Amino acid sequence: MRNKSQASGVLENKEVFMEKMQHYILFALAGTTYAVPSAEVQQMDMVEQITPVPNAPAAVEGVVFLRGQVIPAVNLRVRFGFPKVDYDLKTRLIVVRKGNRSVGLIVDTAREFVSIPDAAIEPPPEGISNLSGRYLAGIATVGERLVLLLNCDEVINPADMAAVASQDAKIQEGEDHEK
Amino acid sequence: MTPLPSDPVMMDSFLDDYYAECDEHMTAIRRNVLDLEASLGKAPLNMSGVEELFRSFHTIKGLSGMVGLKDAEHLSHRIENFLNALRGKKATLSPATLDTLIAGINLLEKVMEAHKSKSTPPSIQDMTRRLEELLPAEENDSPQPQAARRVPEPETSAEARPHGGATWIFEFQPSPELAERGINVNRIRSRLEGFGKIIKASPQMLPSGGVAFEFVVSAAGRDEPPAEWSKDGLTFFREEGQKAPEGSPDRVASSESPAAAGPDVGSITSTGISPVNIVRVDLARLDEMMRLVGELVISRARLEDGLDRLETEVSAAGLRPLQEADLAMGRQLRDLREAVMRVRMVPVGEIFNRMQFVVRDVARENRKQVRLELAGQETEIDKLIVERMMDPLLHLVRNAIGHGLEGPEERLSQGKTAEGRLTLRAAAAGDTVVLEVEDDGAGMDCQKIAEQAKRQGMVARSEKPDEKDILDILCTSGFSTRSEADLTSGRGVGLAVVRNAVEELGGTMEMTTAPGKGTNFVMRLPLTLAIADALIVSVGDQTFAVPQAVIHEVIEIPKETVTVLENNEIIPYRGGVLPLIRLARFFHLPQEPGRSLYGMVVGTGPSGAVLVVDKIVGRREIVVRATTDPLLAVPGVAGATELGDGRVVLILDTAKLKAEAGGKR
Repeated sequence: MRNKSQASGVLENKEVFMEKMQHYILFALAGTTYAVPSAEVQQMDMVEQITPVPNAPAAVEGVVFLRGQVIPAVNLRVRFGFPKVDYDLKTRLIVVRKGNRSVGLIVDTAREFVSIPDAAIEPPPEGISNLSGRYLAGIATVGERLVLLLNCDEVINPADMAAVASQDAKIQEGEDHEK
Repeated sequence: MTPLPSDPVMMDSFLDDYYAECDEHMTAIRRNVLDLEASLGKAPLNMSGVEELFRSFHTIKGLSGMVGLKDAEHLSHRIENFLNALRGKKATLSPATLDTLIAGINLLEKVMEAHKSKSTPPSIQDMTRRLEELLPAEENDSPQPQAARRVPEPETSAEARPHGGATWIFEFQPSPELAERGINVNRIRSRLEGFGKIIKASPQMLPSGGVAFEFVVSAAGRDEPPAEWSKDGLTFFREEGQKAPEGSPDRVASSESPAAAGPDVGSITSTGISPVNIVRVDLARLDEMMRLVGELVISRARLEDGLDRLETEVSAAGLRPLQEADLAMGRQLRDLREAVMRVRMVPVGEIFNRMQFVVRDVARENRKQVRLELAGQETEIDKLIVERMMDPLLHLVRNAIGHGLEGPEERLSQGKTAEGRLTLRAAAAGDTVVLEVEDDGAGMDCQKIAEQAKRQGMVARSEKPDEKDILDILCTSGFSTRSEADLTSGRGVGLAVVRNAVEELGGTMEMTTAPGKGTNFVMRLPLTLAIADALIVSVGDQTFAVPQAVIHEVIEIPKETVTVLENNEIIPYRGGVLPLIRLARFFHLPQEPGRSLYGMVVGTGPSGAVLVVDKIVGRREIVVRATTDPLLAVPGVAGATELGDGRVVLILDTAKLKAEAGGKR
């Protein structure tokens, strides 16, 4: 492990002049611009039919069919605690692939494809409260804009979504106890 | 010896072939050994069985040498030596030697499995020594087998060859170029099978380090093989000195497999299918075919939908030919789907035979006497399901012998036979296959288990627990039977694993037990996984699909027949009562009030229930897509499917639904 990281360190040094870049897809959510590495994006679609899944976590809007596979569609507004809005022509479904999972993220709009140099990315500021901080991999400035880099692993992590769901269920049901 | 093809890709496919071929031989070996065991001491030794065993091990030895799997080569060599001595009547078969033989076979299998999974191979030293001790002194050859040289060919004596036609010797040398053109050993083999009867096939090492296969083929006719075969890496010549002797001309017409063509010693009990008609297919390719059939089913559903919409615009006469074509296509699709499914089906007997080996071992370990009864071995079931059921069945068999059946003394003192009975049963029932593991052992005391559960802090669901409750308790992780309950009734080990496996396959598991009489585990499994008939139902504004195989009956529920009992609703049903599970309530969906209800009866006996929906929309053939993402791990939902109109609906998992709703009641 150590050898490997040293080796890549050397490589980076050599490429300093070429400025190591990564490609990102920018999307908007509740007035803020976010970025997700394009390597993690499987495809992007208009939001068509989403079949609701009862008793699923609140942020899980439902399932969509994608190349013969059934994948969950997560409403990122709900996930991040913003008010839900109706879908319109600009609403997009960004399908991210992590390991063997594919998950669709519903965002307000997405159309830009940019390259951001690694050097332009800063870690998320310490001050951001722990919950929302976890969803961010970093902050970058692209032109005049501030762009928040998404940490996809955490965004699609089922562990804390389930927690949201059971809270939600309690509010809805009141008397309905788990087992 | 260096393993052959240097090209790793080719080596991999070579190894796959090796495993597949060995697997076939092991199946034959198991069958033959069990036959030998059954007749041991009752009938003279079945020499043709010994002969077949000998051949199988001989082939495995040769193949193992070629892929460089030394341990397997040595082991099979030792076993082969013993069988050879048996053939020559220089050794005898006793229960003790048979045990060693079986232990050797089990170890050989482990060695090959370890090689396949790239795990640490078991040591073969003890076993080779034990096998050597079986041999009379002069038979014991200490030098290692030399697969690098031509293997001796005791299996083909001149008189075993059919006479009449000519005997040809073919040599095939595979190469990557040939493989690219699709020409491999199997292809050549089937080509030669069209030419004549393959008497013998053996792999050989070439001095250059390559590998070649030699086939001795007896041609019925006198024609020469086509000359263009030589372009496919085949060289051949006619074997000299094979004059057709007098007598036995009928043999030529015999279509028996090469193995059965040997001298007629003893009766031939083999039920093996002649290898001539068998094609080996990768399961992944069948999955792909199944997927394509699935797409076709959906396309046709779309077509049907379109036709329905046309009804208002096109005259009935104009539409009729289209509708007829559509119906015909529906039938053909169903046939196609069944045909593909049939290809995937294998007889359950295959795993039952494996269980026989396990039963022997486990019975010995536990000092129990067990008589294994099999029923319905010919029942066919999807290959994937068979594979997934292997471990669960193992668990159940082990449990039945270890905990279920009593020792001989105890049995005798209770007026039972000293030998315990263990029955494995399979039967097809419509779209499902029923597997049962039944023993006539001690059974379980439901009351005791319930008390035990209570002590361990589990909440009793009812005062008088039934078998379903007990199964739930036994399947609860953390429930331990390690205490007094263990002595009288404990059985919990690994049951959760079994039930999970069954439910993952879309099946259900039930149990019946009676103290002193025995226990029966019943597993109902779908015949196949990908496509199923389903009822389309609606609840509130949602539509769901329910696999038809789990539905016993659809009933209309008049409101006045529903009785409310605390949180439960029950209705009278065939002289008993069934609880209602309202899907609307379960899924928090709005329910349409004031209308009559429809219910689907699922499960039987005490585990039966009625799923209540607003409307039954229709019946469809659906393509099941599993929902595997953890975000969709919602109890009661098994997957999703696309209907003809493009709508995606969820497929309900009735077993989980029942369990979940039952838990909440």
